[in-house]
Amino acid sequence: MASYFENGEGSLVPDALRGFARAHASLLTLDSGHGFLLARDTAPARRVGLLSGGGSGHEPLHAGYVGRGMLDVACPGLVFASPHNRQVYEGSLAAARSQGVLHIVKNYTGDRINFGIAAERLAHHGVPCARVLVDDDLATDSGDIAAGRRGTGGTVLIEKTLGAAADTGLGLQELQELGTRLAASCRTLAVASAAHTAPTTGRPAFPLDPEELEYGVGIHGERAPRTIPRGPLGPLVERMVLALLEALGPARGASVIALVNGLGAVTPLELYAVHAELGDLLDARGIELARSLVGEYITSLDMRGFSITLLTADTQVLRLFDAPVRTAALHW
Amino acid sequence: MTTTTSPDAFSTDAWMRRFVQSAQAAKGGLTSLDQEVGDGDFGINLSTGAASTLRRLDADPASRDDPAAPLHAAATAFLDDVGGTSGPLFGLLFQALAVAVADAGAATTPALAAGAGEGLAAIRRVGDAAPGDKTLVDALGPAAEALLTAPADTLPGESLERAADAAWAGVRETARLRARMGRSSYLGSRAEGVPDPGAVGIGMLFTSARAVVEDISTLLD
Repeated sequence: MASYFENGEGSLVPDALRGFARAHASLLTLDSGHGFLLARDTAPARRVGLLSGGGSGHEPLHAGYVGRGMLDVACPGLVFASPHNRQVYEGSLAAARSQGVLHIVKNYTGDRINFGIAAERLAHHGVPCARVLVDDDLATDSGDIAAGRRGTGGTVLIEKTLGAAADTGLGLQELQELGTRLAASCRTLAVASAAHTAPTTGRPAFPLDPEELEYGVGIHGERAPRTIPRGPLGPLVERMVLALLEALGPARGASVIALVNGLGAVTPLELYAVHAELGDLLDARGIELARSLVGEYITSLDMRGFSITLLTADTQVLRLFDAPVRTAALHW
Repeated sequence: MTTTTSPDAFSTDAWMRRFVQSAQAAKGGLTSLDQEVGDGDFGINLSTGAASTLRRLDADPASRDDPAAPLHAAATAFLDDVGGTSGPLFGLLFQALAVAVADAGAATTPALAAGAGEGLAAIRRVGDAAPGDKTLVDALGPAAEALLTAPADTLPGESLERAADAAWAGVRETARLRARMGRSSYLGSRAEGVPDPGAVGIGMLFTSARAVVEDISTLLD
């Protein structure tokens, strides 16, 4: 018995895409035959098209970032499932500019393979293509995990920054290098007090006691490496931020961009409280909280949880981050 | 048995049609294998690609005169119409074979070797799989090597038969391996003893150059 408002099994993604395209018709068009969203208006100076994609259920990622200053194309898969290589291939042909297309890929095996197959097809047809792999999830930073760290909240900051860089006319290799540097400069940690509702069963995707927190949860309901006792917010945020700072190692006086992100069912009130704790912690350590995004940017259906992403940013990255953007989910 | 010495006597159209029949005949056996070590969808995915290949072959009978066209039909079918990940990887192999055969103008042994080698390279780039990871690379690698080491004037049917023998030896070896990649990597030692279904598909492809594979179990022992 499903608990989602939907017409039937499998209807939610195509219905939502149709509704999204209609709501944001001035920004983008939906190619429903090939399964991608295409920006109507991107900077004429762009020499490389930017394309991302991944499973649905993470809205506003990636569709919400299609438009001026960010993505040319987004390829949504079914809920929590990689897009098909055909979507990525056709979307890439639509996105490609004079110097080709850059794929921004979250590090999951299915996404890597499907985007990789599309890249081989593009090479076969003479369309230059490069990849930035986003692998910012600190919870999966272990030598035992052959697949490497997962890609999560950092994707939003990287798509914004690369979009602005692409608008300055950078080439494919320069963008790939910048993206790789950005991915190395950001880490994310997520916690949840309740799982998302599994679409197939209508029940929580995993059990969690009321006094427990899932520390290091993934954005598809992957269980965390550990469950911790629930307590006040301050020590929890401190634990997360200290782990992120230890991984990133910013020097005193360095600037960071922070993303405090709701995973689907946490209130803005709570997210701003998280941000207050984050700000205090950074102030105390002489790290400049240069820019902040607080809200829902990459969700996990209706998971009750939040993530914190930190990106260490030099003046060039801050300038790119500040550049104008006009998409459904980010605009300034 | 053929006695002609012309490489043109080897028909890629007939090869692909036998592979289609093999994929359809082995659907149940492959599904059983994949239920033990994977998602259980490989048999269906391979037969979906086969059905789409057949539609494309039948839609363009004139392409029988072009040795690259049937390989190209299989490439598009497996890349565009098949879900999962292993099926589209077969599409990359067909695409590389089609390019090499088109470049050579015929399905010669050197062309097949070049195509299998490039297909293997593409699959390894995409899947990040090395020999010994219990994937289709463990069957395709030895098959490509067999084609590469066959003398250039070997008849394509003969070199593909050598490739099939090498592929099946690799398939049997995967039963002893523990997976590092893909869904079966989560199973640890539980997947030991079961060959990789994608590797079996590669064995079936090369055997189909000569004969339809009716029953994969006879080739696994």
